[in-house]
Amino acid sequence: MDRIVNGIARGVFVFLYVPIAAVIIYSFNAAGTSTRFEGFTLQWYADLFQDGALMQTLRTSAVVAVLTATVATVIGIMFALGMSRYRGAGKGGLLALIALPLIVPEIVLGVALLSVFSAVKVPLGITTLVLGHLIVSLPLATLVLMSSAAMLDPSLPEAATDLGCTPWQTFTRVYLPLLRPAVVAAWLLSFTTSFSNIVMSTFLSGVGSTTLPLKIYSSLKTGLTPSINALGALLILLTLVIVLAVGVTQMRRILVDSRS
Amino acid sequence: MTSTRMIHLGRKERPKRGSLLLLIPGVASVVLLGILPLFIVARNSFAVADNYGGIVGGFTLEHYTKLIDPVYTKTLLFSLGLGLLNTVVCIVVGYLTSYYIVSRPEGRQGLLLLLVIIPFWTDFLVRTFAWITILGSGGPIAGVLGIFGLSGFSMIPSNVAVVLGLLYAFLPTAIFPIYASMRSIDPSLKEAATDLGCGWWGVHRRVILPLSRPGILGAALLTFIPTMGVFVIPVLLGGGKDPLVGNLIVTLYTEFRNQPMGAAVSMVLLVLMVLSMGLIGLLMRRTSTKKGA
Repeated sequence: MDRIVNGIARGVFVFLYVPIAAVIIYSFNAAGTSTRFEGFTLQWYADLFQDGALMQTLRTSAVVAVLTATVATVIGIMFALGMSRYRGAGKGGLLALIALPLIVPEIVLGVALLSVFSAVKVPLGITTLVLGHLIVSLPLATLVLMSSAAMLDPSLPEAATDLGCTPWQTFTRVYLPLLRPAVVAAWLLSFTTSFSNIVMSTFLSGVGSTTLPLKIYSSLKTGLTPSINALGALLILLTLVIVLAVGVTQMRRILVDSRS
Repeated sequence: MTSTRMIHLGRKERPKRGSLLLLIPGVASVVLLGILPLFIVARNSFAVADNYGGIVGGFTLEHYTKLIDPVYTKTLLFSLGLGLLNTVVCIVVGYLTSYYIVSRPEGRQGLLLLLVIIPFWTDFLVRTFAWITILGSGGPIAGVLGIFGLSGFSMIPSNVAVVLGLLYAFLPTAIFPIYASMRSIDPSLKEAATDLGCGWWGVHRRVILPLSRPGILGAALLTFIPTMGVFVIPVLLGGGKDPLVGNLIVTLYTEFRNQPMGAAVSMVLLVLMVLSMGLIGLLMRRTSTKKGA
């Protein structure tokens, strides 16, 4: 029986990588979307960079993701440090509150924000996108930072205070260097969450603020083009870079250890 | 723990207010961008709309009574069915995969986990359109069948493609919590059960399955409701013929500009979420009281 399970599990790993391999292989196929491999080409990649409209959405996505990641990380650091020092009642409640957007279906959060923005007549654009992406990235960033802040030796900042550091000096000289891996992880996780977000963006993007995933989605509705495969291959590469930058240990802590 | 508490007791002058101030931006963000907007959606679902879907005010149950229309019930039932199917398949496959990972040596486990993390972190759209490449008319399956003279094959659009796409999208989400709870099971329990005459099934039914229940329930929660809220997969892989609740919400808001109706459907999804969380909480508590007994 164990042998059958092992066989199934190996099949699962193949299943996980077949689509990834397909996107990469087809992005180099000179024959476009057809099956036969008629030679290696980089033409689809060249097409991508000449597509002005696509490059514009890439810029929008990058700007939104950088803003979202930065704001989420700053708020997350503040919250994590506050929680690590807070000894009062309601700690569990505060934790549940910050994690709440993780449980509520993202699509409901999206329409909820749209309702607010349309009620107060805020025009949709970069700002509304950042706010929407912030609410889905913030819990992730905060939970990563909190698990690292909880592991810090509390005597270190106390020693810094005793040696005459101001709170700001304690932060920049003790907390920040010790939390650096978690800060990097939180920023990159928020960046990817925002950069690949489609649900929030569907509701919160304005006329001039189409993001890259929205553009891909709308062009996919009319059919798959080879250059979309090239774009997909580049996004897979970006994922690899980010996963490796965050580090396997950190990733494992975020995805596995926080759930046990 | 005791030592840090003593330090804190000894430092009466330590200002608590400072740490409370640090919590404000986080709390304010969730309240202003999460909780408050949810209340507005709830309010809008009972509000009267003008002809353009703008909110006029007042109170009506009209949008909820309209949900009984077959257009909506069909989508809701289809979503529930597909959500359940995807949850069950993800849990069974996730359970077997997690068991495989846990039975590898420690170093190997890290590598296998990395192999699950990479697709999980890959862009959702890329993960979805990859299946168009594989199952579509120009794809490798069509090519192989073409050699045997079976031309014109395409599984896009079809509900089979939707099911595959959903499994691919949610399988990693299901693996992480199940793996997390399996990893904390003492391996000597499995050996003891084997020594006492349990076969493969016995070990799983009596030892591993009950002990990994918290992870399984967690996986169910992370799969069921999100599946129904998905709107990209049914459009790209299913041709949009059989929409899910997610498609309904997107269509009502962005195409029909019918805010109150969209709000009512969103509330249905929210209520389903609360119900399934309650059910899972109940099942979790049963596990812990059993353990205590």
